[in-house]
Amino acid sequence: MARKIPLIPTLFLLPSLLFLGIFIYFPLVQNVYNSFFDFSVFSPTKEFVGFASFQQLLQDEVIVAAFINNVKYAVISVLFQVFFALVLATILEDKVFRRIAPALRVIYFMPVMISISVIALLFTFVYNPQMGLLNSFLELIGLENLATPWLGNATTAIYAVIAMSQWQSIGFITMLFIVAIQKIPKELYEAADIDGAGKVRKFFNITIPQVKETMFVNVLITVTGSILVFNEPFILTGGGPGFSSTTLSVLMYEQGFGKDNMGYASAIATLIFVLSAIFALIQIRVSGTGKDD
Amino acid sequence: MKKMLLFSIFLLLLSSVLSACNSNDATTAATEDGKVVIDFFHRWPNEPRKSFYDEKIKEYMEANPDVHINVNSVLNDSYKEKIKVLVSSDDLPDIFSSWSYSFAENLVSSEKIMPLNDVLSEDQEWSSSIIESQYDGFKFDEETYGVPFTVDGKAFFYNKAIFEENNIAVPKTYDEFIAALDSLKQAGYEQPLVEGLTDTWAISHYLGTIFERVVDPAVLEKDYTPETGEFTDPGYIKGLEIFEQLAGYMGDVSTAMDHEAARNMFAAGEVPVLYMQFAEIKMVEEASDVEFGFFDFPEVEGGKGDPTALTGAPEGWMVSKNAPKETVDFLKFLTSAETAAEFTKTDGQLNAVKGAVTPENVNATSQEAYELVTNATSTAPWFDNAVNINIADVFMRGGQELATGQSTPQDVMKNVQQEAKSLRE
Repeated sequence: MARKIPLIPTLFLLPSLLFLGIFIYFPLVQNVYNSFFDFSVFSPTKEFVGFASFQQLLQDEVIVAAFINNVKYAVISVLFQVFFALVLATILEDKVFRRIAPALRVIYFMPVMISISVIALLFTFVYNPQMGLLNSFLELIGLENLATPWLGNATTAIYAVIAMSQWQSIGFITMLFIVAIQKIPKELYEAADIDGAGKVRKFFNITIPQVKETMFVNVLITVTGSILVFNEPFILTGGGPGFSSTTLSVLMYEQGFGKDNMGYASAIATLIFVLSAIFALIQIRVSGTGKDD
Repeated sequence: MKKMLLFSIFLLLLSSVLSACNSNDATTAATEDGKVVIDFFHRWPNEPRKSFYDEKIKEYMEANPDVHINVNSVLNDSYKEKIKVLVSSDDLPDIFSSWSYSFAENLVSSEKIMPLNDVLSEDQEWSSSIIESQYDGFKFDEETYGVPFTVDGKAFFYNKAIFEENNIAVPKTYDEFIAALDSLKQAGYEQPLVEGLTDTWAISHYLGTIFERVVDPAVLEKDYTPETGEFTDPGYIKGLEIFEQLAGYMGDVSTAMDHEAARNMFAAGEVPVLYMQFAEIKMVEEASDVEFGFFDFPEVEGGKGDPTALTGAPEGWMVSKNAPKETVDFLKFLTSAETAAEFTKTDGQLNAVKGAVTPENVNATSQEAYELVTNATSTAPWFDNAVNINIADVFMRGGQELATGQSTPQDVMKNVQQEAKSLRE
């Protein structure tokens, strides 16, 4: 009878373990294995090259450019999605907006439900240099000197791509914060009211400490998401012009499926995995999550 | 007992996963009612070609009741990717469309493509009905691996009304061309030449032709072969400078749009000149009633290349090594004179079957284009098919950087030479 208890949970775990093993861990190991070979999808054989792909990785200037783009993505996403979304959530939960908050929540959440490919195609029209909404709007308000071909300009392309991501994802992060804020005991705010604290003071001294765990999860989501980001730049700009809006994932895809350097693409994939693992580990350490008091 | 249960559940799960993986292998076999199944894969899910091929398949299946054809199609870039995946997964369709030269060569290197020399020599009547020179892009080591079907070429198309209005003659040389662009600019066309530079292949088409004009053909041949390519000839720098100069006439919107948008601008009469494929003639005609003509990429003074070489390569059909023998018959059907004539009538694209392009099924512009293609002194494949894709990519990305002013021709060539070096090793 004593063995019966671990058996049932094991049975429940088994399918997911099996699927994780087959679809996540096995490909992961195989990818690392592949990165030591040079091969194309057409070649019947793989050629062992040892660490050559990783050496190439270290010398490749495009990798650096792509990584910088990923970092830009991460920094802007954290600033905008985590901090701004928290502010947004707080405002939406404020008594003043109680009546229209549900409607606003839906509005902010709407983009999350649309497929990213659809959004990216939509934004190619927004950014279109001739008939795009953005440039037309700028002209309308008399700022036509600011109108540029956003996606075709090497300096603005990556920011235009990032901006679209923010628009899409902020609703999701806001929703997570709203849930967290709703779980904060009301007594804390009442006590603060009695002590005479203003809204800003309550935000910094009650809301932020109370949603720390959620904040950590959100930072993790946005940062790892930023390292993996692929759809947005790939559909909007294809990484161009030049390499100005290429990210690591786009580069990996181009190397693998565009230029058929499967080994090198595997090496880039390994790099992406290592980077996101490092970031996740750092964040878990720093925030000391799990030790909920 | 419990252990047994656990083990049997594990086995059950595992077997279901494994059988799911295996289910794809059975596709080449005959269906239950004894029909031979041919998997047919092409790259035109868009009209009018999708309907055309659907119709043809129906026609063929009616004539051959013992054959069933499965058809599948995805568009251009996705096609390139999907066919690569299919090749590597042993799931190659029986008959499929392919570009010529390096794209075909890559597929052939998988050793899964059927060599067609015997098939072609067995049926001379059919094989000789296709223009001889168009086979070149599918020939590797004396063996033919594909049957060319569509032919194409690239030229500058110009809006006749705008040229007449501003008294501009069709340019014969590169300098005349630049002068024409300048006077169009003065006439108020801010971007007299337009191109969708987000489509990197559009850049490669420009560069390919420019290099044909300015670089010695012998040097090109040496450089385009990965084992011997060095790309040290000063002609390449000159070529990139020419592209940079032309990009100056494309306006800064060009790097933010694709070729289709550029074509629409040309069709709307907003832009007087566009570098375009003959295959697109019908699309422009259907989109507008702009009257247009075309001229070959003009001769470059002092260029060491061939001043009249035409850029453009055929596309055709390939057959998988393991395809059922009926596939060859279907291939002959697809490339027959009747299919070809009907194809060009429906689609407007020119084809390589002799006598299938006539004044009855194409208009005067296309007829003129067809004569240019078939009479060209030499045809050069599309640049991204002519060189190794890694080299092409450096040139194409570099072209974008030249257009946005991020880079110089010298820098681009330095990257190209580096890439060429690593390919030689």
